[in-house]
Amino acid sequence: MADLKDIKADEVLDCKGLSCPMPLLKTKKAIQKLKSGQILEVLGTDPGTKTDLPAWCEKAGHEFLGVIEEAGYNRYFIKKG
Amino acid sequence: MSFKQTVANAYERLFVQTWTPLMGAIMIAFLCVLLEAWYRPWGIVGGLRNWADWFFYGIGLYEDAPPHPLYFSSSVLNIGFIWGAFIAACLAKQFAIRVPPFLEFIKAVVSGILMGIGSALAMGCNIGGFFVAIQNLAASGFLMMIGLIIGVRLGLIYLFWEIEHLPAGGGFEIGFQKICPYLGVLALIGLIVATYAYFGSDIDNGEILGGCLIITAGIGFAMHRSRLCIVNGFREPFMSGMAEMGKAVAIGIILGAIGVSILKYQEIRPEMMYVTPTFGIGALLGGFIFGLGMVVAGGCGSGSLWRVAEGQLKLWVVAIVFGLSNSFVRHLFSEYDVIENGYLGKAVYLPDYLGYGGTLFFIIFIMLLWYLIIDWNEETNKFVMEI
Repeated sequence: MADLKDIKADEVLDCKGLSCPMPLLKTKKAIQKLKSGQILEVLGTDPGTKTDLPAWCEKAGHEFLGVIEEAGYNRYFIKKG
Repeated sequence: MSFKQTVANAYERLFVQTWTPLMGAIMIAFLCVLLEAWYRPWGIVGGLRNWADWFFYGIGLYEDAPPHPLYFSSSVLNIGFIWGAFIAACLAKQFAIRVPPFLEFIKAVVSGILMGIGSALAMGCNIGGFFVAIQNLAASGFLMMIGLIIGVRLGLIYLFWEIEHLPAGGGFEIGFQKICPYLGVLALIGLIVATYAYFGSDIDNGEILGGCLIITAGIGFAMHRSRLCIVNGFREPFMSGMAEMGKAVAIGIILGAIGVSILKYQEIRPEMMYVTPTFGIGALLGGFIFGLGMVVAGGCGSGSLWRVAEGQLKLWVVAIVFGLSNSFVRHLFSEYDVIENGYLGKAVYLPDYLGYGGTLFFIIFIMLLWYLIIDWNEETNKFVMEI
């Protein structure tokens, strides 16, 4: 996989401090605005997001590229399918 | 592979990686049956109400002093539950103070009030009124389930509206990653000491309470590890189509119902235990109001409490307001004898009508039907609501 750190996201969604289900719901909404192949970066702090997002991507046909753990939050990368 | 590596891998699997919902549901059903065999069924809202009763008593609104929180089983159940979930969150390095955007605090207050009213009407939250109620073969649990589903759908309509019209960001987290595992070990030692203290104490029901504490700590631990969330089980089929959590909840109810049937059939526990007089408007309307509240809250009775233990400030507000609101509504009920007059409904014990075998067939049938519908929906998205 290409290095996540080099990825430039087309859209960044701030879900820091939010708990279930808001991060997933906002992701679902935000990705509608992107074109196929574009990349959405989601910033989040809820531990549940770590399992929710990849599972949802698989179901919805998007590609979950991975996660970078920063101090105090995580960055999730999704490529729209 | 060295033995040390094997131990490290086992730690990672048990305490860091999220368990599957099904694993969580099986563990929780097992512990629910153990708790009922030990002393009583599991519940959440009774303990929250006890704490809130103390608040209202303290400010002079209530005349009679409530039972002592450390000597009252409902309260001890919650202490154990939060304690176990806290241990789990710490060992996984997932405990952190999470501060949401301001809008979430307003939602927390409103949803807490709704959950308090709903759980007063249904005489239990989604645990005592639904999950454990059906396990205890009470017909009201199914009525609450219908109410919950309708309430969840309405709550989702609100959430969809909210993300269109009220964009909110700017939350943050204050983490303790480095000290988390040490906190977890300290909390575990504390739990063991507290359990021994109960067993060795002079109070009448010390041993009973010690067992309640350690068993519910197990439930809290399993629930946090699997992030088992009954809201998720009801909500996701409509939101994302995902069904894994809902299917796990259905299996947990079936397993628990089999266990409790044995306890009740053998007269180890009274038949009418947790069969509340709410088969009627109470469970249905209560489920609807509670369902609406829990979607906006992002946590049901149990889900809110394990998120409290994980440091989610929004759910701290939810839990506090939920307890206060429930206490106040139940206080009004007792002023007007609402429960005694049967306004909420009748107490209906399913085996009185279907026999024990028939009741189990009925519960398994409904749960498997639900399982199949959401499983089918996961493939077809038939019930998924579009944003």
